[in-house]
Amino acid sequence: MSQPVRISVISFDPQLAFHLQLRLQSKGYQATTMSGVDGVLGACYSDPPDLLIFDLSSDPAACTNIITTLRSDSFFSAIPIIGLVAAIDSDSFEWEACPLDDFIHLPINFSELFCRISLSLSRIKRIFDNNPLSRLPGNTSIQRAIEDAIGKNVAVCYVDINHFKPYNDIYGFSHGDEVLRMLSRIMFNAVRDSGGGFSGHIGGDDFVFILPRERAEAVCQTIITYFDQIVLDMFDEETKARGYYYGVNRKGEGEQIPLLSVSIGVVPMESTHIQHYAKVAEVAAELKKLAKDSIGSRYVIDHRKS
Amino acid sequence: MDEKRNELKKIIMDTKTLPTLPGVINKLNSLSENDKSSVQEMAKIVSSDQVLSARILRLANSPSYGFYRVSTISNAMILLGVNVVKSLALSSSIFEIMEKNSVGLWEHSLGVGVAANLIARRLALPECEEISTAALLHDIGKVIVSLKCSEAEAQIRRTIRDQQVYMWEAEREVIDTDHAEIGGWLAKSWFLPDKLSEPIAFHHNVAQSENHRIKTAVVHIADVLIKASGFGNSGDCYVPQIQKIAWDVLKLNDQILAEVVEELEDKLVEVKNFSLELQGPDVPTS
Repeated sequence: MSQPVRISVISFDPQLAFHLQLRLQSKGYQATTMSGVDGVLGACYSDPPDLLIFDLSSDPAACTNIITTLRSDSFFSAIPIIGLVAAIDSDSFEWEACPLDDFIHLPINFSELFCRISLSLSRIKRIFDNNPLSRLPGNTSIQRAIEDAIGKNVAVCYVDINHFKPYNDIYGFSHGDEVLRMLSRIMFNAVRDSGGGFSGHIGGDDFVFILPRERAEAVCQTIITYFDQIVLDMFDEETKARGYYYGVNRKGEGEQIPLLSVSIGVVPMESTHIQHYAKVAEVAAELKKLAKDSIGSRYVIDHRKS
Repeated sequence: MDEKRNELKKIIMDTKTLPTLPGVINKLNSLSENDKSSVQEMAKIVSSDQVLSARILRLANSPSYGFYRVSTISNAMILLGVNVVKSLALSSSIFEIMEKNSVGLWEHSLGVGVAANLIARRLALPECEEISTAALLHDIGKVIVSLKCSEAEAQIRRTIRDQQVYMWEAEREVIDTDHAEIGGWLAKSWFLPDKLSEPIAFHHNVAQSENHRIKTAVVHIADVLIKASGFGNSGDCYVPQIQKIAWDVLKLNDQILAEVVEELEDKLVEVKNFSLELQGPDVPTS
């Protein structure tokens, strides 16, 4: 049997919250309630629900704030959020400022609410371009972001993992997936903590991030430092001390395989020789080849002017 | 007798969070006002507090993230991100704030963390940060006993005083388990890695630690040294003996120990100042 869908209800009105909880439970949902906005973020982070129902009637500004914060982390941006809005407020409500998926009027029409819950859950599956493993945006969003970036003073940075295939072959997919999830979090957090930008997952061990040109080098360095530190957890003491393990290379020969590291190719978008999306990927591929020629993690910047 | 153990186990399964000191939260709060608060600064504060550390490790190891072996605070913070850690820490300030009389245990835990780090570095052991984290968390079971079984705790205190026994002996008599075992249960139910849960569970009985005996031995010796130094308050009034198996597995000798103790004394002055800074009235309260 599959797990019941878990719904969190947040409302200042404890009676409304309790009533909603009962109705949701009677439909087979697992519902928890919170009255007030304190601690909502902490609770969502430590135990992410499948869907949120947010009563916006008493403090729209505080609620909008929380919803925006939650949305800003790709890991939680895929949780559908349904807002409850008083009918008289809905004309004046600032819909564009509040990243909701759907809303329903107060007082609640329960059969409508149940339909909207089902719809929200199925819509998120249908339109969700994000990579299911890392939950970062996928290729549709990446292409759009790169096209937006062309000609601007930003850098598109392609990240991949050196010697990832032999690692996957020897240590297994579940460990390989864990490495990919680690890199995606390291990259996402480094970009966000530097002041923001775009992070995406092309697929496999290929990632992309986009941010203002002047921050690119510092963020590359942060990603490399953190990845090199954390990836050690994926190896036992002996392998760590030795610095390599034994495996089979692409040609099928046995050889010493170094520990995992990352290569980053940085493509500044101002350069005139970059006119379209395909060219960005092509330049990045050349840069990454350069980065991979050295041992360990490294980033390489495209300096060509024309 | 089994009833009490099962009851406690059930309590632990339902435990999602534990209270922490207001000073720690205030300090983090004042940091988070400042946008430049870096991972390192936050990690320093978080890794001074056993409860916050345990909560953050619980989140980093929770199945929803899909990481299976995060055993240091700095790695947990890199993976979760500053924002998530901030929200998690600050969300605890509203509901659960520890009482002032828990400062003694807090200082003891911090002291053992520092001592374990000194020993691990002096012996050039691998995974020093993991060892200090395990040491910081070693008495997390006591937090649970005092929070969830306050009546039993009073009885445990009486037993310690009347019968002049160690705390774990009194706990065995009153609740049929002890803080080390309880801490081990909590670590397991929070998905913390074995290299943390084993030293927590066996710091009073190093021989039972099979996979991480070296780490457990360091935590055991650090615990004894801090009790002997009189720093903080673990709840025990007697200093236990260093177990021979711990001494042997680390290949210690009197000279190394003397050096560690000397270095530890200097370090504890710093730790005391840090503690006073956190407890002091000059910490902003908003």
